[in-house]
Amino acid sequence: MMTTRDIIDALTRTFDLNADVLRDNQIRLKLHKKQVAPVLLYLKNQLGFIHLDHVSCVDWLEENVFELVYIVYRPQDRLTVLVKTKIDRQHPEMENMETFWPHMRTYQRELREMFGIDFPGFEAPKEFILEGWDEMPPMRRDFDTRAYVQRTYTTRPGREDAWSVREYITRRTGEKLPDFVKKYSRD
Amino acid sequence: MTTKRNKQTTLFIGPQHPGITGNMMVKLLVEGDTVVKAETHIGYLHRAFEKLIEQRNWLQSFTLLCRFCVPEPDPMELTYARAVEAIEGREVPPRAKYIRTIVAELARIQSFLLWYGGQAGSAGLYTLGQWTVGDRNYILDLFEDLTGARIYHMYIWPGGVRRDLPKGWADKTRRVLDYLEKRLDDYNRLLFDNAVFQKRAQGVGIIPKDKALEWGVTGPPLKGVGIGNDVRKTEPYCAYGELDFDIPVYEGGDVWARALVRRDEIKQSIRIIRQALDKMPGGNYYNRIPNPMKWRLPAGEAWVKTESVRGEIGFYVVSDGTEKPRRVHLRGAAYTHGISVLEKILPGQNIADVSFILNSLGACPPEMER
Repeated sequence: MMTTRDIIDALTRTFDLNADVLRDNQIRLKLHKKQVAPVLLYLKNQLGFIHLDHVSCVDWLEENVFELVYIVYRPQDRLTVLVKTKIDRQHPEMENMETFWPHMRTYQRELREMFGIDFPGFEAPKEFILEGWDEMPPMRRDFDTRAYVQRTYTTRPGREDAWSVREYITRRTGEKLPDFVKKYSRD
Repeated sequence: MTTKRNKQTTLFIGPQHPGITGNMMVKLLVEGDTVVKAETHIGYLHRAFEKLIEQRNWLQSFTLLCRFCVPEPDPMELTYARAVEAIEGREVPPRAKYIRTIVAELARIQSFLLWYGGQAGSAGLYTLGQWTVGDRNYILDLFEDLTGARIYHMYIWPGGVRRDLPKGWADKTRRVLDYLEKRLDDYNRLLFDNAVFQKRAQGVGIIPKDKALEWGVTGPPLKGVGIGNDVRKTEPYCAYGELDFDIPVYEGGDVWARALVRRDEIKQSIRIIRQALDKMPGGNYYNRIPNPMKWRLPAGEAWVKTESVRGEIGFYVVSDGTEKPRRVHLRGAAYTHGISVLEKILPGQNIADVSFILNSLGACPPEMER
């Protein structure tokens, strides 16, 4: 049985890194992006974190970085490690780790498509969820969903005003709306 | 002379196909009746839920969350609520924990009943699905009585649940469970005693035991290779730590083993709900949150997992200290089962078994593309 302390000790003996306990059995590592691949391999092959739980990305637009989060799990003692790194948002590039776990390929395809992150040497088909997409990667914070919808789709005839049905009927009949309805209406 | 290359044909199953569990497509390269290569194609129902959630406040997100998976929406609400509570440090009253457990288990049972229909139907056995979907309505009635809705409940909220158990609901639930327990024998005679199902399911769609964890397999497919990992046991949440139940485990890793696991899981869910009803504590069911329109969570992050019928689902949630989430990212069991695992186990299988194997993995397309 290993504890969070054992894992942190083993990691800090091998790598120069910043580790803390997030909560319960969860360890959080904040790494330079060049450390991520060797640390993940060490976690998998030496420390038994055989299960890749998740790979996520958070867009910190204000800091001009993407934060990548790799979550791995050691089933024997229910320990989780969150491996985090920040990459430049203008030229987002991360090491291709598709050979580490089979489903890493799926995660990388989604990250490439939804955030525009490049994985040099990653040759999986470009299109994953989106088809014929030539806009900014849509999960970026500066992608304006409303503007995209307005320039891409047309309004159904008779609904150009975008009133709610309740508002439309009330305006047509002249009935007075209660205050609480007006407060959250779009106009 | 026909070259090997000329014998191979590309075949598309889906996105509109009765054997596909939702809007997805499996592109197959086949030689005769045998699959040589398989590729999962998704993108037919992407609704940008995760993006839209970033533009809503913490509570408004619930109207989208439950739609991440149509057959079993409640674990989505539960997992997200637990992640929000973890970031904020909000306590959940014991009564709410028990009610959440009952809701989660009822959701499991009704989803398993849908699975019976899909699994039997993909083997050409249509009667069972009509029985189980009919009986599933009794559970949807319970949900309607409790939450006001049959499918998408939006009932589990940060701090507890939205309302208390209605008068007489516990008794009605017990009666439904008694009825379902008797019906299980009928279902199982129709499915597991059927020679067609036995021959179709045994030795088909095998996941190798030594690869299962590395491939990201969880839930019934993992228990079907003989590994009994279940978040309800390994990292107990809600009231699971106070209740007595077993994790069914079978060897073989084939469709048959996964079906046996699901058969036994229903019995365990009934057992859990009965205990939760018996031990239901009194007190408050909701630790009220502040005005949701002005509710800000402290900056922080949480990774929280829950056991669904398909396997582990997890939410990675990030707060930047405002009234809206910075990031809400779902890890669904189908994300691995329906893509990388399916692509690995289909080569060598018969075309007719593709839908059958897909059903046994519990692939849920809306969970793959959120």
